[in-house]
Amino acid sequence: MNLELPLIAFILATALATAVLRDVLAAIIAFATYSLGIAVVWVVLQAPDVGLTEAAVGAGVTTVLFLLTIAKTVRPSGDRVLERLDVPALGVTVLIVAVLATTLGALPEIGAADTTVITSDVTQYYLEHAYKEAGVKNAVTAVLAAYRGFDTLGEAVVVYSAGVGLLVVLGKEVFA
Amino acid sequence: MSESTSEADLEAAETADDLQSYVESPIIMATVRVVSPFVFTYGLYLMFHGADSSGGGFQGGVVVATVMLMLGIAFGIDPLREWVGEATLVLVVAGGVAAFVAIGVGTVVAGGGFLDYSAYGIHHASKYGIEVVELFIGVIVAGTITGLFFAIDAGKDGGDNE
Amino acid sequence: MIDLLVTRDYYVASFLLLGIGTYVMIAAGNFVKKVIGMNIFQTGIFLFFIASAYLDGGSPPVLTDSAPYVSPLPHVLILTAIVVGVALTAVALGMIVRIYAEYGTLTEDTLKEVRESE
Repeated sequence: MNLELPLIAFILATALATAVLRDVLAAIIAFATYSLGIAVVWVVLQAPDVGLTEAAVGAGVTTVLFLLTIAKTVRPSGDRVLERLDVPALGVTVLIVAVLATTLGALPEIGAADTTVITSDVTQYYLEHAYKEAGVKNAVTAVLAAYRGFDTLGEAVVVYSAGVGLLVVLGKEVFA
Repeated sequence: MSESTSEADLEAAETADDLQSYVESPIIMATVRVVSPFVFTYGLYLMFHGADSSGGGFQGGVVVATVMLMLGIAFGIDPLREWVGEATLVLVVAGGVAAFVAIGVGTVVAGGGFLDYSAYGIHHASKYGIEVVELFIGVIVAGTITGLFFAIDAGKDGGDNE
Repeated sequence: MIDLLVTRDYYVASFLLLGIGTYVMIAAGNFVKKVIGMNIFQTGIFLFFIASAYLDGGSPPVLTDSAPYVSPLPHVLILTAIVVGVALTAVALGMIVRIYAEYGTLTEDTLKEVRESE
């Protein structure tokens, strides 16, 4: 409990820094810090599989791709350190957050034992039968590759299509 | 460095002359030389041990892809692309997807449902089936991310795509 | 009120991240920053899912640990969503590289002007 609030404050502060910094390079670096904070949040929330992926993807791959893009294009230079406040955008943002916040009272407490996700039959079935039926002890892997294998095939094809899509956008036939 | 990169660098030099895609640094090269074998091994460990501990194809795949990104940053992306080979990545990714589909359809041919590993009738079929599928997911993910990295680096006109 | 915020702290953080992501996507003039905003928006949604799977005192859903476990299903969904997200980001960045090659700018306003003058 005592780790949660500073961690949340950290990720919100880095996200805010990403938003207000005008220099794109500075924003990318702030975003990498934010991703690292989020990866720690996944570990705190007992999701080590997601944390591993986020640490490699967010702080590693995504940051490198962003840096590569600005190295290939331009990095706008300016005198101001911070972005100018965009009032209409802020209005839309406040509206969205306000609408989402009205649902807060209807959401269950985080970590309570009687939330719908924890007590759902699906969760219990996966946890009870994963080793017996799929033969693996990591329930995440069992769901990923056995119970929801068709879904995972779809995801793999989406990743493949993203590669093809980028080649189409750039007018190439091979990754070169 | 090939022509394409230096051309792109000149183009960007107007506004961002401090940002080049490759700077030769002995510190980065030495670090990557030491670290990358361990990171690569860790990525493979994640793929193969995803069954009984944290890890799996997606996690291992991105970790292996970061090794390629590290090598690209340390030794230059163009030499790395030549070393990998232009069409190899396309073959690797397409082969990974095809193998995944083949395993899934194979269980249907053997008389089970899609990805119903027990239809293969070997001992611990499900466990080995899951590990093989995870391995191919890792190949797809690692190959695609490396390819996206190469493609963005080459840009629209860059690269040697003859 | 305070109790409501503290017991649902991750949901509040998730909503604020969605807000920050929306703001960056709308307000930023630079396309690269817009893509960063999209990534922040994504992680806001991921946080909502993973927080909903959490159980106080639960172990990760690896059956060698002791019960009770947190729910594995949201983890699977988000795990694949992260990898799909990076592929999506890469395609967006590829489009940005292409836009720069065609129009020589990455700023929304300048691009509009260039498009209108054509």
